[in-house]
Amino acid sequence: MLFNFANVLTFIVFGAVFVGINITLSRILQARNPHPVKLSTYECGELPEGDSWIQFNIRFYVIALIFLIFEVEIVFLFPWATVFKELGLFAFVEMMIFVFILLVGLAYVWVKGDLEWDKSTAVPDPALAPSAARQELTEAIAS
Amino acid sequence: MDFTNIAFYIFAALTVGSAGVMVFHRNVVYSAVGLLFAFFGVAGIYVLLAADFIAIVQILIYVGGILILLLFGVMLSQKLTKVDVRTESMQLVPAVVVVGGVLAVLLLTISSTPWKLAGSLEYEPTTKAIGRLMMTEYLIPFEIASVLLLAALIGAAYIARKN
Amino acid sequence: MDYSSIIKDNLISLNYFLPELLLTGLIIVLVIADLFLKDERSPWLSFVALAGCVVVLLSVIAQFDLGSRSLFQHMLVVDPFSVFFKLLFLASAIAVIFLSIASVELAGRPVGEYFTLLIALTLGLFLMASSTNLVTILLSIEFVSIVSFVLATYLKTRRRSSEAGLKYAIYGAFSSGLMLYGLSLLYGLTGTLNLYEIGDVLASRDSNGMALTLSTILILAGFGYKIASVPFHFWSPDVYEGAPTPITAFLSIGPKAAGFAVLIRFFNVALAGEPANGASQWSALPELDWPMILAVVSAITMTLGNLVAIVQTNIKRLLAYSSIAHAGYALMGVVVLSQDGIYATMFYLAVYYLMNLGAFLVVIVFQDLLGSEKIADFKGLAWRAPVPAIAMAVFLVSLTGLPPTAGFIGKFYLFAAVIKAGPAFYWLAVVGLLNSVVALYYYARILKTMFFDKAAEENSISVSPYYVTLLALLAAPTIILGVYWAPLQKLATNSVEFLRAL
Repeated sequence: MLFNFANVLTFIVFGAVFVGINITLSRILQARNPHPVKLSTYECGELPEGDSWIQFNIRFYVIALIFLIFEVEIVFLFPWATVFKELGLFAFVEMMIFVFILLVGLAYVWVKGDLEWDKSTAVPDPALAPSAARQELTEAIAS
Repeated sequence: MDFTNIAFYIFAALTVGSAGVMVFHRNVVYSAVGLLFAFFGVAGIYVLLAADFIAIVQILIYVGGILILLLFGVMLSQKLTKVDVRTESMQLVPAVVVVGGVLAVLLLTISSTPWKLAGSLEYEPTTKAIGRLMMTEYLIPFEIASVLLLAALIGAAYIARKN
Repeated sequence: MDYSSIIKDNLISLNYFLPELLLTGLIIVLVIADLFLKDERSPWLSFVALAGCVVVLLSVIAQFDLGSRSLFQHMLVVDPFSVFFKLLFLASAIAVIFLSIASVELAGRPVGEYFTLLIALTLGLFLMASSTNLVTILLSIEFVSIVSFVLATYLKTRRRSSEAGLKYAIYGAFSSGLMLYGLSLLYGLTGTLNLYEIGDVLASRDSNGMALTLSTILILAGFGYKIASVPFHFWSPDVYEGAPTPITAFLSIGPKAAGFAVLIRFFNVALAGEPANGASQWSALPELDWPMILAVVSAITMTLGNLVAIVQTNIKRLLAYSSIAHAGYALMGVVVLSQDGIYATMFYLAVYYLMNLGAFLVVIVFQDLLGSEKIADFKGLAWRAPVPAIAMAVFLVSLTGLPPTAGFIGKFYLFAAVIKAGPAFYWLAVVGLLNSVVALYYYARILKTMFFDKAAEENSISVSPYYVTLLALLAAPTIILGVYWAPLQKLATNSVEFLRAL
């Protein structure tokens, strides 16, 4: 077991060393002449507006919460999967009860609309709809 | 000193150091990254204790779930990344005294106690054994956990919902 | 390896697990029924919850004849002690459902989640009272905590309610962290999670070192948080004030009583010797004088609770501090390590259920009528709304511990148990007595405000017959048990037995 994890450790160490060496190499070898245009975020000339730290939608949080609960459930499934054949029907029923109780939870968040990403499909956003004046103008131009 | 000892001290240093970054950094996002490495360090220690399944669960749940949730929580608030999250009252001296006292008590306890030791450590996969125990001896805690998760899910969804 | 014997034991245990299974079924029924409900505020789910609780009540009463039995590989236990507490929790849950149905605060909030979580909380309390393994103890305490956080935050659009939930969660996380560390030390010390085996291992060794003391104190943090004893009481005033009042009433009774149940079981099974044959008194583990620790905690808890209660102007905060003080009184019975002590604590908790629930019911009634929780606004209420005011007088006299109320009998048993245990704890009885005098002052002040201060308005306020009935149902037994307490005495005497050894 420890040997398998030593593989993981080796992998991590090699990954870190590889990235470290490459960054250092590029530091050493690169030609450095800073220029305001070169240092701007988009060299094509588009100027970024505002801050890149924007407020996230709360839906991310709700989904992450639900994900976490079901992730914990999945973790319980792994050890069961390794032994359920040897323990037979009893273990199967036990796990079905466990999964059923959590399925009730899934049904709950589903029906209550917590999994819905786009919650306002029924009502079109008035800001996006063309205003009446604009519509008239378009029609006037067309005729 | 053999390899596992050296590895233990490396992981312990990683855990404590990252936890320090987490506690003392002014920017909450850096704190979260500190927490990430602290979780990894703890996972490493679990591996050295021959608890392979727990180590993987630690990474899966804490790094893959709880930490992401924390980061989302931070991003929900626009201001949090810009302000200094440390409180103004530092109370450095009392804190040092209390922490030092707790450390002294713990060290004294660890050294003076007749611990029940597990004997020699065998590095074997533990997933099967955990599965067996979960289905037999620890059946009730396992099933209670599902009801607990259901209640937590309903509660969390209710609180996080907007209306 | 053959697991069939364990599987068989688990299957047999299921027969003794009926109340908990019914509660789980009720939770699932409530969740699913909620999904089919068109209007999430319609009240009929509360009737489903109520009917379910009555069914569970019957199944719990049936458990009285079972005697003591260890279940599910010694994870849980069913014994008269746990059955007594289960009755208490169910009685609280049923009363709180009645309070919630009529609550103005909760009107307009979704009903499904509320009752689902309320029943889940009750299930958690059931498990707390019957846990005999460190895993189930931790799991059930966490269960109760997590559900309580959500219920305290139930009025999430109200600032105070969110604050209550947040504070509850932070203090809860802190104290369960401490407790978990204590439990891990205990496991490291004994190599087992089973309370009975822990008791055996600890008793078989000459010295368990400092780890035993340290872990006991850390574990006490978890229990102390649940019963709101000093120094883990900080959450209670803010949570009691911010949570919806029916939930406050539940939190002040259910988790507190469950905390006492798990504390009594843990200390007496793992950290005390067995009573000699026929003796009604036993002794603590010689190397750890935990009765003294608990006695000091008890004295400080009641003193601090009562002293801070004096200066409160909000009735919910005042009742929060009074509830802290009452945790201190009830601890007096745990300190003395005797049948009488445990009996007195159980009796007191049952009485406390009546009088504290009653006091919170009056708070709800006044909240609905006046829209205020300030004691100053209660001026002259006795003349405007005599029924709740008189009921409040009964409950407050009982909380003070004056005859002819149940509170007096409860306190009498507590003091008697302490005195009977010998001179070592006379000082605790004196502290308790002095505290009762302090308590008299602030309870009497509320009564003075209600009965003797001049009201700002003269018009009388009508109280709905629903509330009058509930008030009568709680006030009547408070007085009756103060005169004729034999039924409760009999129930508590029969329930004082708990499974001490395997």
